[in-house]
Amino acid sequence: MTHKFLSHQELASLIGQLLAAKTRVIAPVRAKDDSSQLEYQPIQSPDDATFGVRLPRRSLKEFFLPPTEVLLHYKQTKAGVEIREVPTEVPPQVIFGAVPCDAAGLAAVDKVMNWDYRDELWFGRREATTIVSFLCNTMDATCFCTAVGLGPESSTGSDALFVPVEDGYLAYLVTPKGEALLQNHGTEATATMLADAETSQREARAKVEPNLAAIPVEFATWLASNFDHPVWKTLALRCHGCGACAAMCPTCHCFDIVDEHISADEGVRRRNWDSCQTGLFTVHSSGHNPRASQSERFRQRIQHKFSIYPSRFGEILCTGCGRCSRGCPGGMDLPSIVGELVALAQAKPEAGGQ
Amino acid sequence: MNIYQPHLMRIREITDETIDTRTLKLEFEDPGVAEHFQFSAGQFGEYSVFGEGESTFCIASPPTRAGYIECSFKATGKVTQALRRLDVGDTVGFRGPYGNHFPLEKMKGHSIVFIAGGIGLAPVRAVIWNVLDLRDQFKDLTIVYGARSVGDLVYKRELEQWAQRSDVKLCLAVDPGGQTPDWKGLVARIPTAVEQTVATAEDTFAVICGPPIMIKFTLPVLEKLGFPGERIYTTLENRMKCGLGKCGRCNIGPTYVCKDGPVFTAAQMRNLPQEF
Repeated sequence: MTHKFLSHQELASLIGQLLAAKTRVIAPVRAKDDSSQLEYQPIQSPDDATFGVRLPRRSLKEFFLPPTEVLLHYKQTKAGVEIREVPTEVPPQVIFGAVPCDAAGLAAVDKVMNWDYRDELWFGRREATTIVSFLCNTMDATCFCTAVGLGPESSTGSDALFVPVEDGYLAYLVTPKGEALLQNHGTEATATMLADAETSQREARAKVEPNLAAIPVEFATWLASNFDHPVWKTLALRCHGCGACAAMCPTCHCFDIVDEHISADEGVRRRNWDSCQTGLFTVHSSGHNPRASQSERFRQRIQHKFSIYPSRFGEILCTGCGRCSRGCPGGMDLPSIVGELVALAQAKPEAGGQ
Repeated sequence: MNIYQPHLMRIREITDETIDTRTLKLEFEDPGVAEHFQFSAGQFGEYSVFGEGESTFCIASPPTRAGYIECSFKATGKVTQALRRLDVGDTVGFRGPYGNHFPLEKMKGHSIVFIAGGIGLAPVRAVIWNVLDLRDQFKDLTIVYGARSVGDLVYKRELEQWAQRSDVKLCLAVDPGGQTPDWKGLVARIPTAVEQTVATAEDTFAVICGPPIMIKFTLPVLEKLGFPGERIYTTLENRMKCGLGKCGRCNIGPTYVCKDGPVFTAAQMRNLPQEF
């Protein structure tokens, strides 16, 4: 991986140049309704960005899988129905200040969106976007990225990773898109900068690691063979089935497809975020519901993230950002729950379930 | 064209099967799409009424009849009720074919027992006509079909055609109380009808579709007859939106009905988490 040094002024001038060229630039900014919160937003000036203060309250997912988006327009005419396609190509955009767990979430969803059938709406935005993640140093007790195989210094899903050093950043250029972004910017990094950056990364990791031990590979197999374990009955007792966890999650990608009238003969087909935690998610038209209770729906959430997706794609569908725990009105805490389940999985076989 | 964009199809024919079940015969508007469209018996699609949404059904016609597809549905929800309001000449959307299919190649040279209950005959009918169109490549064919009442039997004109063929053994049954004075078939539930009709599992595959309760009580009968779970095929249906493995709705544990199914063997079903 190549690297460069970029001073604070050079970063500001890079962002300024992009904005001047009408490139959409997205960065963490203070939320309008709550200045203690950050959210990813398109910015108008380099000064709008607020880097390294805290985890933005929602993930980057909405820029690639919007909460609601039009899949097609239809129009009824005398002759039949006309369909107008939506464009899948979008203008280039650059995201600065992504947290590594959010960039990694996009890489995980890529695998689903490319599973046999390629979702061009997703990939149109993915390909048009250059993602610059910053080393995370705003972790709290709910973060557990190191337990899911990532870390505050992870470059998974990022085109470049910026690590703060004196007067600026050490920029690791992860992909050709990252290299292209900094082609005319930055200077050669010194050995001191490299050493400092490595120390920061080690220190950042050490802050998250105590929160939850690395999830063992065998956990996925244990989950698959303990679908009927009694623990599922009690785990979800505090879950309201509201789906806040899924909305905040960088990897939850379930969606609904619905039609909406605009007028009597015109309308759109939309894709909307959905969540496996809601009661109607799987209900059949006969009224039969394969996941009739909240314990079954919560089991699906855990199984999907830690067993089903891993069995298909070889990694965990969770980046350890902890937003689901912070946002849960019932106080469900994913790292504690996963920790409890891992402990069950590692208990003696006779105590481990069926 | 993005993967969620449907092909446009015209309704060419409407057949009312029962008081609430209807079959639509559909043709692609675009002759280029029609020419290249291929599917196998058991595959499904997403059918849409513009302004109402999409709904998932199997393709109920056999791939041996080119130029059109058929779907049969019961008006139960928003989309199916809207489909019912459409007329001949109206346009619907279709995405597909999706999913796996019944292994016709494997069944060639063997006998097949088809078992269906109610509207569960729709996917089985696609296989039956497929096999009948290639009749000399299969051995004995037996069809056991039943519904709650005589009025609930679907594809009645085809039941008559099958009854008249000497190369098909057909057994029709209705639940006790569902018979009419002139009913000539059995008055029995499907498991009993299978017990009375199917003599042997030797060299035979079973294809079974119907309500979960029917399948639950028929599988032991088939096993008693000697059918191994690997030779009993059925379809699972779960609520779906995309049909492409992305919307996250139809999975039963690690198994995605839209991609790994909808056709499964009884042996595979036994290994699934019991969440369907």
